[in-house]
This record gives sequence, C-alpha cells and structure tokens, in this order.
Amino acid sequence: MQLSAYLIVSAILFTVGVLGVLIRRNPLIIFMSIELMLNAVNLSFVAISSFLDSADGQMFVFLVLTVAAAEVVVGLAIIVSIFRTRRNIDVDDMNLLRG
Amino acid sequence: MIDIQTQISFFVLAVASVASAIGVIAFKNAVNSALSLILTLLFLALFYLQLGAMFIAIVQILIYAGAIMVLFLFVVTMLASEADDTELRDRIPWQRWVAGILGLTLVGALSYLLFTGTTIDSSAKATGANRLSHVVSTQGNIEAFGQALFHGFAFPFEVTSLLIIVAILGAMVLGRKA
Repeated sequence: MQLSAYLIVSAILFTVGVLGVLIRRNPLIIFMSIELMLNAVNLSFVAISSFLDSADGQMFVFLVLTVAAAEVVVGLAIIVSIFRTRRNIDVDDMNLLRG
Repeated sequence: MIDIQTQISFFVLAVASVASAIGVIAFKNAVNSALSLILTLLFLALFYLQLGAMFIAIVQILIYAGAIMVLFLFVVTMLASEADDTELRDRIPWQRWVAGILGLTLVGALSYLLFTGTTIDSSAKATGANRLSHVVSTQGNIEAFGQALFHGFAFPFEVTSLLIIVAILGAMVLGRKA
C-alpha cells in the first residue's frame, strides 16, 4: 500500500477525534476523543517508519504511548475528584479554576 | 496476488476503524463509546501488524486496549448515573454545525496537503546495515526494536520513568480524601 493511503486514514481518524472534542460535552468522551487523536498520529508514525525502513517512528509511538498512559491516569483522577465535589460532570459547568 | 490481498485488508481495516471511531463520538452511552474505542484500538493494532511493527501491535493491545481502557471503563461505570443525562441540555445550539464545518475544513486541508504537498525525499530512507528490514531479518523483531530503543533513544526512555513517577504522585494526591 502507498504511504499516503495510511496518512489519509490517519487524518480522518484525527478529524473524528477533533469533532468529538468539539461536539460532546461529557468529559469522559472528550478524553476518549483525545486518545483517538493520539492513536491517529501513532498510525502515521508507524506508516512513515515502515516507509523509511527505519525504527525511529516506532520509538516515537512507544513514547507517545507512555505519555498517553500518564495523561489518562491524571485526567481521570481529576474528573473523579471534580465529580466528588460537584456531583456533576458537564464541561459547560466547569468554568472556575477552584472547587 | 499478495498485493491484492494487502489492498483488500487495508480497505477493510480502514473502513472498520473509521466506522468504530465515529461510533466513539456518536454513541449516547459512555460505555458504548468506550467499547467502540477498544474496537478502534484493535483495528489500529492490525494496521501495525500489516506494517510490520509487531512489538508496537502487541503493546497497543496489552497497554492501550487492555490497561488504559480498563481504567476508562472503571471510571465510566463509576460515574454512570451522572454520565447519561449530561447530554440533554444543549446550551449552544449552533455548536454542532460549526464543529461539522470546522471538521470538514480540517480533513479537506489535510487531504489537500497530502496530495499536493512535498513528498518525502527517498534519500531520507535508511541505508545499509541501519535498515530496519535488514536488522529484522538478521536478528528478529524485538531485537531490532530494543537495539533502536537503547542506542538512539536511551535518554528519552529514562526521562519516561520520571514522567510516570510524576503521574503516579499526581494521581495519589488527587485521589486522596480531601
């Protein structure tokens, strides 16, 4: 397969993730959309790595994976603690930087 | 023909992954969205297998589709009573249309750049003994990955451990009873 075919799939997946962040108001689904965007970028990294016959792209995917895991842990902890104090997780209600 | 098989599997995977990605943002229930995201991640792992990145494919299934999504499902089910009725009120009615227009613009701009932009110079390809396919054929998949990780990317790999420690501390501080 050509490289551009993989990159186009990656672009479509990234756009779906952007749309999820823009449209949905449930912070959990906004988080999943961010994961979708990270994975779309990972796909293009792996495709370019295979195209260039070099392992560097796979290294970047490995590091992105670690950053994504750290981001999910901290983000979900923030969502749970917001839910504990406010009993409500609509992102339109969260417009203050304090509890 | 091997090439035809690759093309057919590519298109099947492409359609399946985009469809399940749309499912992530279209389902009303957050549990369905999470399951759809797991499906997307599995299809992406098959993409990686097709591209010859075996280790990344396995890590994708174990860590992403396994560990991270279990964490997601945990929180989704914990907040399930609240997660459903947040979508009822539509405070900014034109938001969806603007988001749709912006999304179409983004995918159009990205495709335009892909079709007309500069191509990757073929002199950027690795040559000689550095070629990934050469290392894979002489030593194996995991060996090639480990060699690249600990030779060229040893410092970023060590910095990763710092990031994980900070994330663990952050989760502990946030999760503690106030």
